[in-house]
Amino acid sequence: MKVLLTGAGGFLGRCVADSLLAAGIDDLRLHFRGDPPHGLLEDLGRRHPGARIEASAANLLYARDLPALVAGVECIVHAAAGMRGSAADMFANTVVGTRNLLDAAAGAGVRRVVMVGSFSVYRTESLPRGAVHDESVPIEDVGIEKGAYAHAKTRQEHLLAEYRGRYGFETIVLRPGVIYGPGGGAFSSRVGIRAMGVFFSLGRGAELPLTFVENCADAVAQATLNGVDGRAYNVVDDELPSCSQYLRGYQARVGRLRVLAVPYWLFLLGSRWLVRYNRVSKGQLPAVFTPYVVRSMYRPFRHSNAALKALGWRQRVPTQDGLARTFEALAGKPP
Amino acid sequence: MRVGIVGCGKIADGHAEQLRAIGRAQLVAACDREPLMAEQFSQRWGGLAQYADMAEMVLRERLDVVHVATPPDSHVALACSALEMGCHVFVEKPFALDGEGARRILDCANAVGRRVSVNYLYNFESPALELGRLLADGALGEVVHVETCYGYNLAGDYGIAVMSDPAHWVHRLPGKLFHNVIDHVLAKVVPMLSEPVVVCADARRMRPASGDAVVDAMPDELRLLLKDRDGRTVSAMVGSHARPIGHAMKVYGTRDTVELDYAARTLVRSARQDQPSAVGRLFPAWVQAWRYARCGVRNLGAFGRHEFHYFQCMRVLLTRFYDAIEGRGEDPVPQAEILRVAAIIDGIVDALAQRP
Repeated sequence: MKVLLTGAGGFLGRCVADSLLAAGIDDLRLHFRGDPPHGLLEDLGRRHPGARIEASAANLLYARDLPALVAGVECIVHAAAGMRGSAADMFANTVVGTRNLLDAAAGAGVRRVVMVGSFSVYRTESLPRGAVHDESVPIEDVGIEKGAYAHAKTRQEHLLAEYRGRYGFETIVLRPGVIYGPGGGAFSSRVGIRAMGVFFSLGRGAELPLTFVENCADAVAQATLNGVDGRAYNVVDDELPSCSQYLRGYQARVGRLRVLAVPYWLFLLGSRWLVRYNRVSKGQLPAVFTPYVVRSMYRPFRHSNAALKALGWRQRVPTQDGLARTFEALAGKPP
Repeated sequence: MRVGIVGCGKIADGHAEQLRAIGRAQLVAACDREPLMAEQFSQRWGGLAQYADMAEMVLRERLDVVHVATPPDSHVALACSALEMGCHVFVEKPFALDGEGARRILDCANAVGRRVSVNYLYNFESPALELGRLLADGALGEVVHVETCYGYNLAGDYGIAVMSDPAHWVHRLPGKLFHNVIDHVLAKVVPMLSEPVVVCADARRMRPASGDAVVDAMPDELRLLLKDRDGRTVSAMVGSHARPIGHAMKVYGTRDTVELDYAARTLVRSARQDQPSAVGRLFPAWVQAWRYARCGVRNLGAFGRHEFHYFQCMRVLLTRFYDAIEGRGEDPVPQAEILRVAAIIDGIVDALAQRP
């Protein structure tokens, strides 16, 4: 089976390429927006000498370039997405790019599409505290209340469903929690934010839905081979720390921070004030935290990877090792 | 008034937010030839009508005003079309690709009796407005020289988009990256210059080669020297490598000199050595500190009054544009200044084309 992996140069994409090859995919086309990262293809070639690995450059925003990208492909693993920039940029790079890719895939007779989605699409606002956050939680209709990234990822999922209905693709969605690892960022906003020289600890005792980048990549590979058509899979590791435990680990092994712990009730109150201030001041400060966001993302839930395990996925890198490797890499980075 | 926006990219959010803030018109429709982009913009701004064709949007929504926020090579066609359909038009910078295009839009507006303006927002920042008052009062005397710098972060979101995409529209502009930002420099200095203006420009690429011919053809450091009929000069540095990224101007007058920082929203008179000897060098730092402190207090006051939005300058500009539409004031950016900015850009493009 010839597989196309989009976003192969990204933080997750690089590991997915390795995991797909390790799982037995022996004909892999890697998509990059520009040139492949230095040494990546050579390294994959050395590690998987029997596999056919090819690189293809394309900007998913340009539909005219995509028929060549998907030609001869049976399965697409779609990991490319807009991770930064303005709301419009993020939407274009995530949703318009996906639409163009799916149009090309339909034209080329692609059979299966495996898409890397996000936890941010879930409608967790109405979930009771301490509830199990698994794949049975419904996803947002629009997702706009949770910010530009969630909006784009939600629309991307609905788009995939539309195309599934229209063209009959087999589709599988992976919804990773917080992907972490060497080369990634230090803090998810679920843990907290840095501002004015202080780290505001927001998540505190809530379980942090981490997935080490290599484990997440294995999950994508496993779902590519064995995932059930039409299903979504949450991707989180075992033995998840709380946000506070993650923060303490960071402070012990990377560097001290001036931490201000914000209780949930105060955070919720502050978000109400911020929304009101945003309205009264006509946008002088952006309402980045709304009560909806706080209730959705900062209450304690338990996370399940049972569906993923039922596919045969096993956590390759234990959480303690993953954290150790991540903190070690962060400690070596200039602040 | 009923308003529509054509072009649903990043800057359209700035237009929508400030339109809503000034409360003078109702944003009712969005148009983008990519329907998904119109959809996302519509959703984020409260359910606007969505279109892929501007003419259809104008007709169906009975628009009074159209904001053009598309890439620059479409401005002339879209602006003229909207004007001919009876709308007033607010155009994102650069106004047009060249002087001829700028003239066509203005001629069209004059022929149909509609207002047109351009997003020269930094002329409406608080220090720029204060400078205008000082110049009008003669507090600086005759302007002798202007120094200005405008920094551009190629490592930022927009810079990365431009650098990673050889097909990005910025690479199609005659002046490439600078064509998209030089209005910010020229719009500020043109009111202080007489005509004609002689342009001397040089540009280079300071970053390492990427290997892509299109991307590598884009310079990232520009130096300008302008000289007007009366010998007044402007030197400008536009670039991507100096840190911190600056946005400042210094205006040298025969009576006084002022320094403007557009990012920090400060305007202070330059230090003057009024006392003799070593004592004379002791005071200016304290005097300057006091002047900056006063700017800080003023900014705090503006923040407290909710007049310190990131795009406050655009809010002021749009307020004046809508005043002009309602017959309560002049065009916020005089047509002559739009044409002069466009003419100087033509001169820069010519100068850069003639480099060895």
